[in-house]
Amino acid sequence: MVQLNLPANSKVEKGQYYKDKTGSKNIRKVNVYRWDPSTNENPRLDTYEVDMDNCSSKVLDILNKIKNEIDPSIAYRRSCAHGVCGSCAMNMNGKNGLACTKSHSELDGDIDIYPLPHLKVLKDLIGDLSTLYKQYESVEPWLKTSKVNDKENIQSKNDRAKLDGLYECIMCACCSTSCPSYWWNGEKYLGPAVLLQAYRWIIDSRDEDRKERLKKVADELKLYRCHTILNCTNACPKGLNPAKAIAEIKKMLATA
Amino acid sequence: MENKNPISPHIQIYNWHISSLVSISHRVTGIINFITVTLIGIWIASLLLGEENYVFTNFFLSSLVGKFVCLGIIWSFTFQMLSEIRHLIMDLGYGFEQKTTKVTGLIVLIGSFPLTVIIFLIGRHLI
Repeated sequence: MVQLNLPANSKVEKGQYYKDKTGSKNIRKVNVYRWDPSTNENPRLDTYEVDMDNCSSKVLDILNKIKNEIDPSIAYRRSCAHGVCGSCAMNMNGKNGLACTKSHSELDGDIDIYPLPHLKVLKDLIGDLSTLYKQYESVEPWLKTSKVNDKENIQSKNDRAKLDGLYECIMCACCSTSCPSYWWNGEKYLGPAVLLQAYRWIIDSRDEDRKERLKKVADELKLYRCHTILNCTNACPKGLNPAKAIAEIKKMLATA
Repeated sequence: MENKNPISPHIQIYNWHISSLVSISHRVTGIINFITVTLIGIWIASLLLGEENYVFTNFFLSSLVGKFVCLGIIWSFTFQMLSEIRHLIMDLGYGFEQKTTKVTGLIVLIGSFPLTVIIFLIGRHLI
């Protein structure tokens, strides 16, 4: 259901202000969304003054600096710090991306950091992605083949090239959580990330389940809630194009 | 158990892009067009009941307010038309590169205005 306003318990309130203690002249204000599940309080926006003279180039470096030097209670996911694992996906200055690959010099003014949009918040910047993972499971993202020989399952160069721009997806959920259709129908609509994955298996020449896979996603809600808003393609930190993948599925269904 | 965790902010904080702006405008103009076509249908049907109905509507549409309404309706149609062409091209699987979507989006947004003026002037027999 379309609900433009946040429910009462989700309204973001003004938070604490952490003044700079280093005496640095190069200060940047960083506003971070905070929510503590152990209290009954509403989420709040804490502001940190960060000394940019002693901070590396990425937004994740800012968060690490805050956690190490200013406020250790702040919670966020991170792991590889090289744009490979997809853990540190979050909303920075109104756009989803990976904190580890986003340079803070690309962001104008004060930096606003929120969790990925329209998710149940677990703590601070950590959103609950379990619905998305369930949807991912529903497209059965593995090779289905009757071949049981112990040789390689060979693919032509052309067929292999069809997987380019798809296999690179790291399931960070930046695209799905940027999609207004996914915000309003996240329970039923599969969303760009999962549909891109579905397409990755649909066009794999080694997969023998194409018809079944297509039949499974050909659904008013699962697939056709995509209205080519293109927020997904704009958001993808790996430069992939989920909107195009979804369009290809629609095309296959229309021409089949 | 009911999940009482808050929902993270979404439309309140997310930046607008050209493509999302065109998308929402496409919907709004679609609704306007639906209503407009219905009203035009009623107007035409009302002619069957006599000349005075036509004269009344004509009087309204010739007034200043009426002309603004006309312009608005024409813009709504031209926007929808251009945007629909963009969607048709995308349905064929073309124009999904980020730059292309920006350019086509801008063409729809900006192009709908001169097209509106042209259609209005043609309608007024001024060109």
